[in-house]
Amino acid sequence: MTFTRRTLLAAVSAAAMVAAPLAAEAQNLPRNMRMVIGSTSTGGDTYQNSAIVAEALAEKLGINIKVDAVGASEGFKALARDKRGTTIMMFHDQSFLGNLYGVTGYADPFADYTVGPTVAINPGNAYLVPADSPYQTMEDIFAAAESGTRVRVAIQPGGVSEIGFTAMKNAARVRAPGSEANIVAVNTGSQSDKNQAMWDDLADVINGSIQANEQFTQLDPSDEKAMRFVWITARPETLEQAPEAGMGNTTRADMLGYASPETSVTLDGSEDFTFDKEFFLLYNKDMDPEIIAAIDTALTELYDEGKIQERQKDAFFIPDFLPSEAAREHLTQKRDTYRQVIDEISSGS
Amino acid sequence: MFEILTPLFVSLIVGGTLVGIIFGAIPGMTATMAVAVCLPLTYSLGLENGLALLLGLYVGGISGGLVPAILLGIPGTPSSITTTFDGYPMAQKGEGEKALRIGIVASLVGGLVSLLVLDLFAPTLADFAIKFSYVEKFLIIFFALTVMAALSSDMLLGIFSGVLGIFVALIGTYDISDGGNGNLRLVPPGTEYWLESGFSLLPVLIGLFGLAAILEQAEIGVPKGHSSKDINVGRHARFSFGVFRGQSINLLRSSLIGTFVGILPGVGGSAASIISYTNAKTFSKTPERFGKGEPGGIIASEAGNNGLTGGALVPLLSLGIPGDSTTALLIGAFTLQGIQVGPLFIGNNPGTWDAMIIAMLIANLAMFAMMYFAIRYFALVVTIPKHILFPVILMMCVIGAYTINYGIMFDVWTLLIFGVLGWLFTKLRLEVAPFIIGFILGPSAEIYFVKSLESFGDVTIFFTKSWIAVLLWVLIIGSVAGAVLMAKKNRQIAEEPV
Repeated sequence: MTFTRRTLLAAVSAAAMVAAPLAAEAQNLPRNMRMVIGSTSTGGDTYQNSAIVAEALAEKLGINIKVDAVGASEGFKALARDKRGTTIMMFHDQSFLGNLYGVTGYADPFADYTVGPTVAINPGNAYLVPADSPYQTMEDIFAAAESGTRVRVAIQPGGVSEIGFTAMKNAARVRAPGSEANIVAVNTGSQSDKNQAMWDDLADVINGSIQANEQFTQLDPSDEKAMRFVWITARPETLEQAPEAGMGNTTRADMLGYASPETSVTLDGSEDFTFDKEFFLLYNKDMDPEIIAAIDTALTELYDEGKIQERQKDAFFIPDFLPSEAAREHLTQKRDTYRQVIDEISSGS
Repeated sequence: MFEILTPLFVSLIVGGTLVGIIFGAIPGMTATMAVAVCLPLTYSLGLENGLALLLGLYVGGISGGLVPAILLGIPGTPSSITTTFDGYPMAQKGEGEKALRIGIVASLVGGLVSLLVLDLFAPTLADFAIKFSYVEKFLIIFFALTVMAALSSDMLLGIFSGVLGIFVALIGTYDISDGGNGNLRLVPPGTEYWLESGFSLLPVLIGLFGLAAILEQAEIGVPKGHSSKDINVGRHARFSFGVFRGQSINLLRSSLIGTFVGILPGVGGSAASIISYTNAKTFSKTPERFGKGEPGGIIASEAGNNGLTGGALVPLLSLGIPGDSTTALLIGAFTLQGIQVGPLFIGNNPGTWDAMIIAMLIANLAMFAMMYFAIRYFALVVTIPKHILFPVILMMCVIGAYTINYGIMFDVWTLLIFGVLGWLFTKLRLEVAPFIIGFILGPSAEIYFVKSLESFGDVTIFFTKSWIAVLLWVLIIGSVAGAVLMAKKNRQIAEEPV
């Protein structure tokens, strides 16, 4: 799938949506809506992004929308219970990655729920090493694995951090079959656990985010907490939409240096693996299509107006609106690509 | 620095503290919930003013928990559980007002000591905190668990109750966000849908302490025309600062323990108050008085849990890692404003840092002023006739249980199940306090124990990891030995001919 095709899909769908008058669709909307999120944290990117979208949607539709950080499992349950449309869910790729990795509580979102519009990308999914690490680049990491050195990567299993780890193993396998066995997971939990694993010398590489870890990359290298980026998984097209100043002291140009094609983690020997952490809405499978259409129309108008994009960019998100139908097609293809990577590494190692 | 002191800034702190106290004082409502509810408001307030509101809610919410803990025997928040051990017996003896004032003064001292430590040593302490790996954190939790032995009237039954609490806490998924494998354990077939996330702490807590007490009272019955007015609020038991004579070491030690536990991400406020209480009892010349209305117990518990407030901000502001569940919400206030917290935060945002310190100081003073002088009115709650009071408590417990996880009906069932279990516990001579301590600390103990073995290979690491581990073993052995000697002494006294 290419950027051009996505843009085309978005444009066609958006034009169709704008043709329907919002007022007529909105009259069936519940007056009070609850947006559950797939995270229990109100300090994370899911809450932040949901708060931006919920506030804009509520204003546009003239209804109340409250964001509740209930977590993935409880969020899916709440969604499954409510056919009236008073509960909607905001989550990201972990909703289908959790299912692909077989994590408890993760049903197939495409089969058991209705996938709604995408709204934004967090381009910050990254991998870091200690400042004094012998590994300067991903090339060094793959070379170490090829030479028989175990490289320990701290991840939280079953989600966004594991897909990058899977891609690392897959790239090692493509480059030198058998070397993937030397890239091993250190099963940690939250971001703080991953950082602590690095400081305890339990991990050589950690999954992190630009937002949470950039400050550690600015510390004096002699500081035991200092880190360095080695890989950012986002597509270069996505990062190019980030503010030029980047985040903290890491500019957009710096970030592009850690992403494909400057930093290559191969998918199949010819193409690089990339991953954008994308946020989208999920609905109950039997929710009234009119409510879904009203939300699509409202979001189309909001993205046409352009203010929501500014707020998302201020919070270091990349605006990424696709109406429901286009989003479903895009996310289904995305899921299939990652399923292939997961299947190949599962069967090959 | 002081230009931040606008009327709006001060009003938000004072208002936030008042709302926090109310949240903390209602069983089932917590500081975390107060901050979560008000978090969206901070978007329009701006960073400093938003933080003023949230920090007021935080300090007020932690402090308000002592009111129901002392007057009703129901911990308002999990971190005020140890306040019930001596606070409620004092209230039953007609010293409720005195107990409340002791708790409030201890809370103020705990809050101020931790604030001082935060202001002076935050980055240094953050560097120290990262020395605590899974092994040291497990040993701290293990140390806190030793209080089960010290709290029990029958040590064997007490420890059994505590282990039962740990067992019940492990029901559910070994969560991937804790580094687990995401698999279910200890879940009977057919109950997966409900027990996937296990039993939530707060419904269990208010069920065991709140509903069980109401059921016990219901069993006894309330004589017609009888009210709780015969429970003396305490006008005759005058409070005097003299009660703190001989308690200065306990006060300072508990404040520092709270601060120290706060700087360790993931250990939590309940452990802070439990460890403070254990130490106060272990080092007391009269440990036999603990659990029966000993002011030193309230001092330890409240200084410990309020000491946490400043401590938990250390890793948040120096590492970008929250020290407890409430400070995890504070990250939301920063991210909503586009500010990243981490090792450069204090240096890059001196204005915000100063505003936070001032807000914490004002919040602690406001908490003291509001609670100390209004306490007589709080204390009047025990004069409400039981046939009015109990339904109101029950309703608040149910609402609190339902709202704690944003509207999960299973949490209400949890409250009812554990209310009945708590009532049965007294019939079976099982002990509620060790059970709940096991329930609170069990999941952390499990995670740190399993992760220690996964990371370091074998159990010898618990003895050889670092000098901190060795020191913690000394404390653990001392605490267990103290509990055993205490039990022996009690037995000898009981066997002595009258």
